[in-house]
Amino acid sequence: MDFLIPLEASASGLYAQRKRMDIIASNLANLETTRTDKGGPYRRKMVVMRSKSMVGGFRNILDRQVEGVQIEQIVEDKSPFKKVFNPSHPDADKDGYLLKPNVELIVETTNMLMARRAFEANIAAIKAARQMIIKALEIGR
Amino acid sequence: MPDKLSFSKTFQALERTIGLSQKRHAVVASNISNIDTPGYRAKDIDFKAALNRMLESGQELDLARTNPGHIDLERSGAAGVEAVEEKGEWNGYNWINIDREMTKLTQNNLIYKASVETLLRKMAILREVIKEGGR
Repeated sequence: MDFLIPLEASASGLYAQRKRMDIIASNLANLETTRTDKGGPYRRKMVVMRSKSMVGGFRNILDRQVEGVQIEQIVEDKSPFKKVFNPSHPDADKDGYLLKPNVELIVETTNMLMARRAFEANIAAIKAARQMIIKALEIGR
Repeated sequence: MPDKLSFSKTFQALERTIGLSQKRHAVVASNISNIDTPGYRAKDIDFKAALNRMLESGQELDLARTNPGHIDLERSGAAGVEAVEEKGEWNGYNWINIDREMTKLTQNNLIYKASVETLLRKMAILREVIKEGGR
């Protein structure tokens, strides 16, 4: 259905932002994690998004140009771990230094705000589409 | 739409405006959903130009079919209209400006609603004429 394509595009945006929020929550939860399955402290994770066409096959050019979004991959931040002097910690090395996750509280909070705003922007687009469809239903009443 | 009869050109123009702004909404929604896609370029339809072309030609824009075997495209009000990538500004991540997109969203939504409303009123006038004429 023609008028449902933009709704699907916006919905994909909502989904992607929600997933991004999940990853941020995971980063925040592991702010102090020094032990992981892979060994070593927790590494900060990030999402990489990619646009995807909402319709396939023989449609007109414009319908194919309408692109939603999808999360292509979740990557780990390769930046170095934070090194703090804490000799009493069991995971500290022989010099008394402890490696902590490369998660920055401020960065994550900012990203969280941005994910939330982007989510709301998609909601606004859905609301606008909804209003348009309802208005169109008035024709022929 | 048989515009030679009682239906004036207004109907045709409104119909196309509605079709076009529906398409434009899809393009803007697509830009908004890609707000976090690295390197993404925002797209837009040149509303004025597309509408002018559609009205001038008097018929819907379509691909030329030089061979009877060519596939007929769907004949919606805006067939053949294409969205183009906008120039925009690099914001360090991609070429989408969220303020601009939200403004376009609202603007387009209003155009759509206004067109439908005008269509409704136009129809009300016609209905009135038919009703009164029958007396």
